[in-house]
Amino acid sequence: MGFMFNIDAGYLEGLCRGFKCGILKQSDYLNLVQCETLEDLKLHLQGTDYGQFLANEPSPLAVSVIDDKLREKLVIEFQHMRNHAVEPLSTFLDFITYSYMIDNIILLITGTLHQRPISELIPKCHPLGSFEQMEAIHVAATPAELYNAVLVDTPLAPFFVDCISEQDLDEMNIEIIRNTLYKAYLEAFYDFCKGLGGTTADVMCEILAFEADRRAIIITINSFGTELSKDDRQKLYPRCGKMFPDGLAALARADDYEQVKAVAEYYAEYAALFDGSGNNPGDKTLEDKFFEHEVKLNVYAFMQQFHFGVFYSYLKLKEQECRNIVWIAECVAQKHRAKIDNYIPIF
Amino acid sequence: MANKTQYRQIPTSESQIKKRAKMNPLFRSEEITLCQMFIQPEAAYTSVSELGETGAVQFRDLNTEVNAFQRKFVSEVRRCDEMQRKIRYVEAELKKDGVKIRDCQEVPRAPNPREIIDLEAKLEKTENEIMELSQNAINLKTNYLELIELRHVLKKTQGFFYDENVISTEAMRNNMTQEDATGQGANQGRGRLGFIAGTIQRERVPAFERMLWRISRGNVFLRQAEMDETLEDPETGNTLYKTVFVAFFQGEELKNRIKKVCTGFHASLYPCPSANDEREEMLKGVLTRLEDLNMVLNQTQDHRSRVLHNVSKELPRWSIMVKKMKAIYHTMNLFNMDVTKKCLIGECWVPVLDLHKVQKALSDGSAAVGSTIPSFLNVIETNETKPTFNRTNKFTRGFQNLIDAYGVASYQEVNPALYTIITFPFLFGIMFGDLGHGFIMFAFGFWMVSGERKLGAKKSNNEIWNIFFGGRYIILLMGIFSMYTGFTYNDVFSKSMNIFGSKWRINYNESTIMSNPLLQLDPSSNDLMEGEIYPWGLDPIWQLGTNKIIFLNSYKMKLSIIFGVVHMIFGVCMSTVNHNFFRRRVYILLEFLPQIIFLVLLFAYMVFMMFFKWVLYNPKAIPPHSPGCAPSVLIMFINMMLFKKSPPLHGCNEYMFTDQELLQKIFVFIGLLCIPWMLLGKPLYIMCTRKNNNKVHNGHNGDVNQAMEMTPETPEELAPAAHSESHGHEEEPLSEIFIHQAIHTIEYVLSTVSHTASYLRLWALSLAHAQLSEVLWNMVLALGLKSDDPIKGPIMITIMFAAWACFTLAILVMMEGLSAFLHTLRLHWVEFMSKFYEGLGYVFQPFSFKLILDETDE
Repeated sequence: MGFMFNIDAGYLEGLCRGFKCGILKQSDYLNLVQCETLEDLKLHLQGTDYGQFLANEPSPLAVSVIDDKLREKLVIEFQHMRNHAVEPLSTFLDFITYSYMIDNIILLITGTLHQRPISELIPKCHPLGSFEQMEAIHVAATPAELYNAVLVDTPLAPFFVDCISEQDLDEMNIEIIRNTLYKAYLEAFYDFCKGLGGTTADVMCEILAFEADRRAIIITINSFGTELSKDDRQKLYPRCGKMFPDGLAALARADDYEQVKAVAEYYAEYAALFDGSGNNPGDKTLEDKFFEHEVKLNVYAFMQQFHFGVFYSYLKLKEQECRNIVWIAECVAQKHRAKIDNYIPIF
Repeated sequence: MANKTQYRQIPTSESQIKKRAKMNPLFRSEEITLCQMFIQPEAAYTSVSELGETGAVQFRDLNTEVNAFQRKFVSEVRRCDEMQRKIRYVEAELKKDGVKIRDCQEVPRAPNPREIIDLEAKLEKTENEIMELSQNAINLKTNYLELIELRHVLKKTQGFFYDENVISTEAMRNNMTQEDATGQGANQGRGRLGFIAGTIQRERVPAFERMLWRISRGNVFLRQAEMDETLEDPETGNTLYKTVFVAFFQGEELKNRIKKVCTGFHASLYPCPSANDEREEMLKGVLTRLEDLNMVLNQTQDHRSRVLHNVSKELPRWSIMVKKMKAIYHTMNLFNMDVTKKCLIGECWVPVLDLHKVQKALSDGSAAVGSTIPSFLNVIETNETKPTFNRTNKFTRGFQNLIDAYGVASYQEVNPALYTIITFPFLFGIMFGDLGHGFIMFAFGFWMVSGERKLGAKKSNNEIWNIFFGGRYIILLMGIFSMYTGFTYNDVFSKSMNIFGSKWRINYNESTIMSNPLLQLDPSSNDLMEGEIYPWGLDPIWQLGTNKIIFLNSYKMKLSIIFGVVHMIFGVCMSTVNHNFFRRRVYILLEFLPQIIFLVLLFAYMVFMMFFKWVLYNPKAIPPHSPGCAPSVLIMFINMMLFKKSPPLHGCNEYMFTDQELLQKIFVFIGLLCIPWMLLGKPLYIMCTRKNNNKVHNGHNGDVNQAMEMTPETPEELAPAAHSESHGHEEEPLSEIFIHQAIHTIEYVLSTVSHTASYLRLWALSLAHAQLSEVLWNMVLALGLKSDDPIKGPIMITIMFAAWACFTLAILVMMEGLSAFLHTLRLHWVEFMSKFYEGLGYVFQPFSFKLILDETDE
C-alpha cells in the first residue's frame, strides 16, 4: 500500500513527521519550568523548533501574545498541509477543521446571547474553524434560523439536521446544540475514516472511539444537578465509541459519579483512568487523565506509516503542547509556581 | 598545570615568528595552543571586541551546564535582541516604501558602552517616529479609501436608481428626504421600499448575496457593480477589489438584519441620497474633500520618505554595530567568573603565530577603558585534540575546501591540499584532454579570476554560481591543464593540428591512392622518416587511421596505470612524513615499509615493464624483438602472480630479459611476505611496549601524575618523553588492535589491485570524451560543412554550427567537465588520500566579526 500512498500523500506525511520532530521533549519542559520570567521562556523557546517566532514582539511579553503566536504557527503549518493535500486527504483534513467550526459557532452564539459585540468575539475564534458566513451568525435567533440562514451553506449542515427547532436560543439549548453537533460530527468522521479503510481506519477509529467515549462520560458527569433529562442526555452520546451500545445504555441510567465509575470499570483502559484520578490536591483530575490518554493514543499514531492519522495526531499533540506552554507561561507570569509541573509531557 | 611544563617555547621575537611562518605553509595545519585569559570585568567588553576584530581566537564554552537564560550577560543579549527587532521593523518599513538600503562603506567598530546607550536611544526615537508616521498614514489612507469608495457608490448607484425610477418614480420622490444617522436613505414609498448602499470585497459577494436571500426569503433586491479601480488596503498595502452594491428591501425589521449581515461580511455602508441632484451635490463635496486629502497625503508621504531616507543612511551601520555587540556578549557568556569576582576567565584556542596579535588586542582592550591592571594570557598544556587551522588565501582556499569536504585533517597531519593544487587539475586534464574544450574552460576561469573583485562584490545568492565562483582558480588550472593534455593528445574539438609536420610520408603513387579506399603505412619501411619523431604529442596522421582507437586505447590505458601507480606510491610515501612528525618512527618500519615494498615490487614493476617493452621492441628489429613478439604486459603480470607460463610464438621469447622469471618469483615471494609483516608488526610492537611500560610504571606507582586535568585521547600527539603520562587514558584492548590491523591489511592489499584498476577511469573518460566530441563533429557540424548548394549551404552551416556549439558547451564542456571533475575528486579522496590521510580533525572556528557579518548577510 505504501507506494500508492506516497504518490499523493507521501510528501505531506514526510512533512508532518518532520514537524512532529519539533515537538518539545521532556528535557525542554524541564528547562522551561526553570524560567524566572517570560523573557527567559522566550529565550529558551528560541533554541527549539519555534525559533524566532517571538522575535518581533516588543517587550514586555504577555501570555496572550505567546498563546496567539503559538497558535498562529500551528495554523500556518496545518494550512500549508491542507493546501497541498488532494482527495481523500483533503476531506480528511477538512473533517479535522469541522470541530473548530463547531466551537466557533457556539462561541459566537453564546457571545451574542450575552450581548457582546461581534467584533470582540471574532478574535477569540479559532482560525482553523472560520468560514465565510461566520461573522454574520448573530442574525439568527432560533436554531431553525441558524440553519436556514447561516449553516446551510457550510459543511456542518448535515450535522445540524437533528437540532432544528423553533425554540429560542438559550444557554441550555446552545449546550444541547453543541453536543448534538459534536455527536453527529464524530460519528460522521468515524464513518469516513472507516470508509477509508487500511491503517488510517485502524489508527483513527481508535482515537475517535476514545474521543466519543470521553464525551459521553463528561456529558454524564456534567449533567448531574442540571435540568437535563436522562432521555435527552442519552441522545447526546456519540455512538461510535467502545462503550456503544451497552456502556452508553448504562451511562444513561447513571445518577452520580460513583455509578459512572462503576460503568467505566467494565472497560480496562477507562477503569485505569478513573482509578488514577481524584480531586484531592496532588492528584490528577479526571480531565488531565483523559488528556494524558489522548496524548498516548496520538503518539501511537506515529508508530505506523502510510496513513492519515499522523495529521490528526500532530495537530492534537501540538495543541496539547500549546496548552502546556501557555500553562507554564501563566505560572511564570503569575509567580505561582506550585502547580507549574501540571503540564502533560508528550515525548 | 599552567606553569608546569611548557615544552614548546612560545615565539616572541619577530624573527622567530617569521621563521615559523616560512616553515609552515599549507604543508600541515598550524600549531595551535590552548590559552587561558584573565580579563578585568570592566575591560572584558572592549577586549573581546578587539579580539573579534583580529579574528584569531576560538573561545571554548566554560559554562556548558548552564542554561542559555541563566548566563551572566543574558540581559545585555536581550537588549541587543530588542534593538535588532527595532532595526528589523525599520527595515520592513523601508522595504515597504521601496527605499534602497545602501551597504555602508567602512565597517564600524563595536560600540563602546556609552555609545550603546546613545544607539538605543536613537533606535527608540526612530522607531517611535516611524510608527507614528505610519499610524498617521494609515488613518489618512483609511479616510481616503472611504471617500473613494463613497465616490464610487455615488457614481455607480446612478444606474440602479434610474432603473428603480422606472418602476417607482413617484414613491421615491416623496420620501427621499428621510435619511438617518447611520447613513442610509430609507425610501418608504410604495410598500415601504428602503435601501442600503455600500461596498464589499469582491470575493465575498456570492456568499453575501446568498445570505441576504436566505434571511429575507428572497425579499431583498440586490444590485451590484464592480469597481473598476483597484484600491489599497491602508494597513497591509495589499490591493483590494471591491464591488458596489445597493440592497432594496421592505420594512424596518429586515433593515436591521441586513445591517447585521453587512457587518458580518465586512461591508462598509455609505450614506447615499436617493435623489439625483442631492447625489450630485454630495459627489461634488466628496470630490473637493478628496482633493484636499490628496494634498495632505502627498505631504505626509514626502515627510515620511525624507525620514526614511535619512534613516536608510544610518541603518546598515547600526545593524552591524548591534550584531557585533551581540556577538561580544555571546562570547562573554562563554567566560567563567573567578571566585573572587575580580576577573573573567576565558579559555581559547590560539594559533601560535597569532599569539602576539592576541596579546596586543588584550592590552588595547584594557587601555581603551583605562584599566590599571592588565589582562593576562597564559598558555596551558593540554592533551585534548586541537582544532585544525589552515591559513588559506583566495588561491588555495578552493583546493583546501575540496580536501575538507572529505574530512578535516587531524591536527597537524600532512595536508594533501598542497599537492592537490597540481595533481587535481592534471588528472582532470588527462580525462578532459581537448585543446578547444580546455580553452573554453580556461577562458571561463580566466574571466572569473580577472574580474574577481567586481564579481565578488556582487553578493549573489545563486548557489550554483557561488560554487563556480568559489572554485574559480580550480577551473582556471583545470582549463590550462586540459589545454596541455589536449595539445599532447593533439585534439582540438576532435581534430588534430599538423603543427610540426607529420613524420610519415606517403610513398604510394596517385593512381593507387585514388583506387584504394584503405592503404597501409608500414613503420618498418621508409613510410616513417628515419630517426625523426613528431616532437610533441601525437602525430596528426593518426587522425586518419582506422586503427586510431586501438592505438590510443593501448596508449592511454598504459598512461593511466603509470600515473596511477606513481600517484599511489607518492601517497604511501606521504605517510612517512606523518609517522616522522608524530614521533612514531617505528611505524615507518612496521607499516610504511611493507606497504611500499608490496606496491613497488608488484605494481611499479609492472610499470617498469611497460617502459621496458616500449624501449625493447621496435618495428625495425628482428625477432625476438620484433613487434609481433612483444608480450602483453597484463598477461605477463597475471602469469607472474599465478606462477604460470604461456607458450611464446614461434621465434619469440616469453620473457623480455634473462632471469626475468626468477626475479618475478622473488618479487612475488617478498610481496607475499609483506602481508604478515603488515598484519602482525604493529600489534606485536604495541603488545611489547605495553608490557615494558607496565613494568616501568609499576615501579613508581605512587606518583601518577596528579596534575593531569584532562585525559589524553590521542596518544600519537604525545611526545615519547611524555609517554608515562599517557597512561591516564584507557587502552584499546589488544584484540581490537589485532582486528583493526587485519582490516587495514586486507584493505590495503585489496586496494592496491582495485585502486590501480580504478585509475583506468583516466583512460575510460578520456576515450569517452574524445569519442563523444568526434561523434558530435561528424554527426552535426560535418552535415553543415558537406552541403555544397550555394543557397542552402550557408544556411545549413549556420544552423549546424549553432547546434554544434550548443552541444559542445552543454554536453562536452559542462556535463563531461562535471563528470571528469567528480572522477578526479574520487581519485584523490579514495585512491590517493586513503594511503596516508586520517581526516579526523575539526575546524578551527575563530571568533571573528568578519565571519559573523558575512554569515548573517546570507
